[in-house]
Amino acid sequence: MKNLRNLYCSTAVASLVATGAVAGSHGWSLKDAAAPYAGTTIDVVFLLRPGYEAIEAMLPAFEEETGINVNIIKHPYENALGEQVRDFVAGGDLDIALIDLVWIGNFAENDWILPLAEVQEKFPDIVDPNLDIDDFFPLVLNAFGGWNDTIYGLPFDNYSGLMFYNRCMLEEAGFDGPPATWGELKDVYGPALTGDGKYAFALQSKRNETQSADSFARVLWPFGGSFLNDEFRSNLMSEESQAGLKFRQDLMQYMPDGIVAYDHAETVNAFAQGDVAMITEWSAFYSTVVSPETSTVADCVEIAPEPMGPAGRKPALGGFSLAVASQADEAEQAAAYLFIQWATSKENAREYLERGGVPARQSVYMEDGLEDFKFVPALVESWQDGVPEFRPRFAEWPEITEIVQEWGTKMMLGEVTTEEGAQEIGTRMEEVLEAAGYYSGDKPLAQ
Amino acid sequence: MRGKVARKTIFAFIGPAVIGLAAVGIAPLVYALWTSLHFYNLTKLKRVEFIGLENYWTVLTDEVFWQAMGRTFFLLGTALPLQIAFGLGIALVLHQPGLTLLKTLARLSLVLPMATTYAVVGLLGQVMFNQKFGVVNQLLGGADINWIGDPTNAFAMIIFWDVWQWTPFVALVLLAGLTMVPGEVEEAARLETKSKWTVLRYVQLPFLLPGLVAVLILRTADTLKLFDMVFTLTRGGPGSSTEFISLMIQRVGFRGFDQGLASAQAIILLIITIVLAQIYIRVFYKEVN
Repeated sequence: MKNLRNLYCSTAVASLVATGAVAGSHGWSLKDAAAPYAGTTIDVVFLLRPGYEAIEAMLPAFEEETGINVNIIKHPYENALGEQVRDFVAGGDLDIALIDLVWIGNFAENDWILPLAEVQEKFPDIVDPNLDIDDFFPLVLNAFGGWNDTIYGLPFDNYSGLMFYNRCMLEEAGFDGPPATWGELKDVYGPALTGDGKYAFALQSKRNETQSADSFARVLWPFGGSFLNDEFRSNLMSEESQAGLKFRQDLMQYMPDGIVAYDHAETVNAFAQGDVAMITEWSAFYSTVVSPETSTVADCVEIAPEPMGPAGRKPALGGFSLAVASQADEAEQAAAYLFIQWATSKENAREYLERGGVPARQSVYMEDGLEDFKFVPALVESWQDGVPEFRPRFAEWPEITEIVQEWGTKMMLGEVTTEEGAQEIGTRMEEVLEAAGYYSGDKPLAQ
Repeated sequence: MRGKVARKTIFAFIGPAVIGLAAVGIAPLVYALWTSLHFYNLTKLKRVEFIGLENYWTVLTDEVFWQAMGRTFFLLGTALPLQIAFGLGIALVLHQPGLTLLKTLARLSLVLPMATTYAVVGLLGQVMFNQKFGVVNQLLGGADINWIGDPTNAFAMIIFWDVWQWTPFVALVLLAGLTMVPGEVEEAARLETKSKWTVLRYVQLPFLLPGLVAVLILRTADTLKLFDMVFTLTRGGPGSSTEFISLMIQRVGFRGFDQGLASAQAIILLIITIVLAQIYIRVFYKEVN
């Protein structure tokens, strides 16, 4: 709570800087602000996902108005962290960091990114008076862009876990809506919707970040479990965590065979081809499942919040912010800030949404004419009640996620029991945290 | 004047090669050795410190490392005999007299699998072994075999691709060995016995041994290094079922960013490879008189 309060203070500082910019720069325009940096080229890593295609399609307008060239380096998610880490360690070319919410501790503690307020203070003339940082969903801004009481990045590619369901399949089986709880999904919908090569549900569980974020964590929180307790010791052997993990094992009977080989692409495809009735996926995949070009069930797709567990809804939270890289030279830093500000602006949020992106601006979801975006009500609800530490956001996450991926998959394959797997993850996770200095007091118990 | 080459001339000829080798091969190895003795995590470079042999101790006592090593040797123990058996069969067929054009075409087609990039083989595997749309299940009469998502099937699939890609290499090496057998010796042997096995065992095999040892050494080293194909095909999964030692090293070094530990793993793997190569040479290698 203290962290959140401090973060809001820092947000207020950023707002004040922006307000100062209003006072000092009547008639601010992107073109004028960018004039000193025309001709600058900035490098940024993008993922192969709809939100990035959306901003790429909008990019010519930015480049034309500013004269700034944006060089996009595309990577699949699995490679994005490694590529950026190597670039920053080597003092490479990247001018903008693309930061998953679980990477921000890492990037900030290594000083690879600059605090937003520092950039704004350094280049006051480029701060858009209409930045309106308070317009971002506070939960999203905090989780995606904030670390240790400081805002570094602005939310760019924003996700919340949603339930995508095939209304036609559910109606055929006699249901007039999606399950409200995970228990109902397993005990009522599971048997009714599984058979003849069709499955009630698919939970993407491939051994990469998908296993730890989309599968393992997804069954911990709604059942009252968590990775760590207040003392930063493993909480995976708690009754609640075990209930969630055992639930996942039981639910597998209603999922396609080989679900441990399903990544996002396979899961979304299985749903889009009508083989699976329900999936819990990121909001970012909405455009894929409702496009007739990529989905045979586009007319049947409906969206709901993720089901509730005994501890509440606790939907998955994930997403990326963009921050200015400290290794960039001054002109590149200014140009990078201008791009980030433009890409996440209120003014562009509607177009970004319509092109397949998911903005984190509250104002855009209050506009009229959003009926076609069925995910909006569920998304907004999820962002009111999400868990920022859905996956711990500290710098040690890259090591811990590897442990979770390995043993989480072994649990699903039945190679170890949920107790054995949880014990192993817990032991190894605590070794990592001990080496990092959390137990000796060298590091605060913060995430 | 033989034996009177000036020392300067010798250095002038050999020196560039030695310097090149040192820069490309030795320097990275020395750096890896240095890294392996340090806590060296790419995301914690502020904390780099000398820790002696701690990384080696961690590796040697890590059950997961030895499981990956066991998996790698199981792959070697299953794929390599198959490659040698099929390769020898192909070499013997191509060694038969006659059908020159067909044999030339066959030799050319043998190069294709070897010339295919490892990563492309993996991607081909993903498409061909897809449970729902893959051609393999279609050829099996519309079978519903889950190749990629089942631990045993995924392992079998890796063996299949490794055998497909490297049997031609073994065949070509052994074919070269067969062409070394003096024609009159082989002809005399065939006059002595009708048993093809006897000719193979006592006449041809001695000429095949140097090639076989080369195959053993190269294929062992290749299998221990096997990465690209598996990475693009299964990424080590499902679970850890196809996580071979090189995938594990990549995971530790570039996904967990622990370069120190990954370097220690790599050094241990290098030592194992060198020891195996020495064993192969001592046990199998014999010059033909």
